[in-house]
Amino acid sequence: MKNFATVSLTAFLFSSSLWIIWSFFVVQIEGSPNWLGSYFYLPHAARVLCVVYFGWKAIPGLFLAELWGPDFNVFEPYTLTHLIPSLMSVLSVPLALSTLSLFGFPLGSTQASPLNSTNYKHIALITLISATYNSLLINLTLTRLSLSSMEIGIDQIGRFFVGDILGTAIVVIALTITLKPIIRAKTP
Amino acid sequence: MNEFYTNINNALSMLSGLENDLNIRHFTPNELKVFYTIITRSAFNEHGSNISEIVENSGMSRSTVYKTLKKLSDEDIIYLTQSQDDGRESLITLKSRT
Repeated sequence: MKNFATVSLTAFLFSSSLWIIWSFFVVQIEGSPNWLGSYFYLPHAARVLCVVYFGWKAIPGLFLAELWGPDFNVFEPYTLTHLIPSLMSVLSVPLALSTLSLFGFPLGSTQASPLNSTNYKHIALITLISATYNSLLINLTLTRLSLSSMEIGIDQIGRFFVGDILGTAIVVIALTITLKPIIRAKTP
Repeated sequence: MNEFYTNINNALSMLSGLENDLNIRHFTPNELKVFYTIITRSAFNEHGSNISEIVENSGMSRSTVYKTLKKLSDEDIIYLTQSQDDGRESLITLKSRT
């Protein structure tokens, strides 16, 4: 129970921090087309990293951050249908992991694991598949539930896909640079 | 709680692998000074500079240069080979990266 609370809090804080940083950059480029921010969608990194390293326990914290993130207000009078896209986004990573497991690549953390969480190339693969699911499922949901004010085309699906991958890459590289002293202390 | 730290440790291992492959590294001021001196000297002598030349041109103490060269050598940035003219001297050459 204590571990679940720690994981939930970590996932929520990490995801929320990325939402805040991303929103800051989106505000900065406000003069440009307002969809430019989706080309480097940082919050997807929180979904990938938290689900890969903490498992299902991270999902509630991530979901709460997804609800809070867009408006920084979790108490907005949401209808149930508005919760579905956020849930889809969070579930895109477990879905990617399930797909890989189905094809004989279950997630592990040792060198012998077919899908190794300590190998960044495997994280890149998970990111790629989850970005595919996210871009397709989100846009499909938005269309089916008529939640989008603008027309959804292949360009938007592509933008979501590229944005998730670029966003995750930016966050992972930024973490590598900022956590360098800790990484160096850990490795002999 | 142990499980939480194990997960964080796995994440750091992943970042460590990425750091190695990206070769993200920052030189300390001493390392920078020695490194630039080696580069500058290599323009004059393609067979490598000796330690005395590096000490003279970097303006740093011999012991600091020795320590820094050892570190750069351990990290595969430079070669230290024995001089054929003077067995007591080591020649320093930059390692080429392909």
